[in-house]
Amino acid sequence: MIDALISFVNENLGVLFVIAIFPGLAFILGFVIFAVWYQRKYLARLMIRMGPVHCGGRMGWLQLIADAMKLVAKELIFPRAANKTLFLFASVVLPVIPAAMIALIPFAPGLIIYDAAGVSLLVFFAISTLFPVVSVIRGWAANNKFTIIGAFRNIYLDIAGEIPVFLASIGVMIWAGTYDLNEIVLKQASMWFIVPQFLGFIVFFIGFLAMIEKVPFDIPTAETELIYGPNTEYSGAMFLNMMEADYINLLAWTLLMITLYFGGYNGPPIFADPVLNGVFWILVKLIIAITIIFTITISYARLRIDQAVKMGWNYLLPLSILNILLTLAMKFYLGGV
Amino acid sequence: MTTPIKRYSPFGEIEEVGEGLFKLNVGPQHPISGQGRFIVLTDGERVFDIEVDIGYSHRGIEKILEYKTFVQGIVPVERMVMLDTSNILMGYVGAIEKVMDIEPPPRANYIRTIIMEMNRIVSHLYALGLLSESAAWNPAVFLWTTADREPFLDLLEMLTGARWSYSFFVPGGVRADIPRGFIERLKATLDWFEKRIEVYEEAWIYNELFRMRTEGMGVVSRQNAIEWGLAGPNLRASGVPYDTRKNEPYAAYGELDFKIVTHTAGDSYARGWARVEEMKVSIDIIRQAIDNMPDGPVRVRMPPRPKPGEALFRVETGRGEMNVYIVSDGKEKPYRIKISPASFRNFYTIEMLPKTQEILLADVPVLIYSFDPWFLDADR
Repeated sequence: MIDALISFVNENLGVLFVIAIFPGLAFILGFVIFAVWYQRKYLARLMIRMGPVHCGGRMGWLQLIADAMKLVAKELIFPRAANKTLFLFASVVLPVIPAAMIALIPFAPGLIIYDAAGVSLLVFFAISTLFPVVSVIRGWAANNKFTIIGAFRNIYLDIAGEIPVFLASIGVMIWAGTYDLNEIVLKQASMWFIVPQFLGFIVFFIGFLAMIEKVPFDIPTAETELIYGPNTEYSGAMFLNMMEADYINLLAWTLLMITLYFGGYNGPPIFADPVLNGVFWILVKLIIAITIIFTITISYARLRIDQAVKMGWNYLLPLSILNILLTLAMKFYLGGV
Repeated sequence: MTTPIKRYSPFGEIEEVGEGLFKLNVGPQHPISGQGRFIVLTDGERVFDIEVDIGYSHRGIEKILEYKTFVQGIVPVERMVMLDTSNILMGYVGAIEKVMDIEPPPRANYIRTIIMEMNRIVSHLYALGLLSESAAWNPAVFLWTTADREPFLDLLEMLTGARWSYSFFVPGGVRADIPRGFIERLKATLDWFEKRIEVYEEAWIYNELFRMRTEGMGVVSRQNAIEWGLAGPNLRASGVPYDTRKNEPYAAYGELDFKIVTHTAGDSYARGWARVEEMKVSIDIIRQAIDNMPDGPVRVRMPPRPKPGEALFRVETGRGEMNVYIVSDGKEKPYRIKISPASFRNFYTIEMLPKTQEILLADVPVLIYSFDPWFLDADR
């Protein structure tokens, strides 16, 4: 038994490393901790204050680890009227969905958790549609007025945001001539797709902000209105899972944006090893992207749900269709890449 | 959970709204509720009724005052609004001066005016921070305003010895004269603060998303504002040029030249805008008061007990006009004190608004904080 396990590990070392360390579980959890810490410190500077300083010295790098330990050690509280099975189920499943999306993203030549046989972009969107479903389950199972309002807002927002995002990425698919994220990255070696797909990028970016549910689109979890939206009743480790789900979602969509429009892992050679080079560039782009996203979260007010839905259907959807037509015309006359 | 209620439509007709509604308890443990509760009747997004449940911080200040001498009453009165203590205290001290028939010396009036306007700036900064924070979870502006209150609080500490709750006004004047170096520091702070207001306008007041959230939302018409007894900057944002500082001058306001800030829209944006403009007016008033300040004593002696009688004093606090009514029976303690604060009337307007227009659940925090509510003031 043990021998069989050891031989299995030895034979599949590469696969296990990719799944468990990078870009798999350890990287995703590490990113969550880094992103929360980075958000707190960076936003604190913009607010003329310090951010966490008590754990791990002046930079407060231990604070998030301490917070996570505290949350895990706490009691799990189930509301008396809640559907306990679904309540627990949603909190366990929700972080898995965006993590499964990350499995399709190429981090370097050959460094990809699951290569979805040439249709990885479609699979990405297929998995992402599960997110609002589980979100409604969590809101309904908690049997609370705030959570159910937040869950329904989540559906409205996801539909209003996801359709323009998908249609905008169809522009990329047409321009690149493939559904495969790895090939899309390879075709951006000479020019990033943000240049030929600029209109599509604008649509994608606004819809993307709705998908990651940050300000100005943090409508489902609107703190001043709904406390914490669908997550209001969660406590302890389940609450930690919900926080993780938010940030893994941010990671997944940011990586997709980098892959579609900013050349993925392409970049000037700094390291001799192409894998190391690819990983370096995608992480640099990731940090720049989340810095911009966090700056946006602090600079704007939250939209109302009707304003957000109206923006998605009235402006982003026609623009994304226009982008498809433009892309077809460009492909016809210029021949694509 | 679903009780049919009657809703008054804008056209005066009564329509039945019932099935599928539920009540949301916003507070007293809610990120925006403060020391009170708002019972919101909603169908998930549309709001049909807001009930303001005050009284969580009732301390019986009016009754406490009957057991204190006139000077001892200063401390409990200040607890009504800790942000705005000098304006609140002016109402109480002014009423005592009226019933005792004493006149504070002119220099004391000018010192009072300076302190009250600095307090108004501090109070409005806090209100603006909360308004921004309720419009989004946008704590940046709230922390900026909190940080920008500090220079004023430091100045007030230099002048009165306390960052808030100064107990600096006494019947007959103020406790002490201006310390050396205070005027220069105040002038420098005002110059700096004028630039900060420009930053606020750039970052926040003119921010497109903030305007989308607040413009045209929670409109109080001029007629309704008068009927519902709205007060302070909220009233002036509805286009009523009423300011007690101008209409019934007290302290040194009668001798200073300043304008009344009004806006015609009457929506949440206008109320936020009015506060920013009033801070500019306050800067102007302080500068004039510094330039025109006469010399002389800052305090006259107060008689130990007044003649029997009664007096009403109006004062423009940061949240609107407050009336203090004192009845004296000739003893060293007041017979009865009745305080009519501004926040109470503002809460009434919050209750009335959903009956005249369509409000969404997301608008509720913005709506509430555009009125600058203060439960401690309304509860007393």
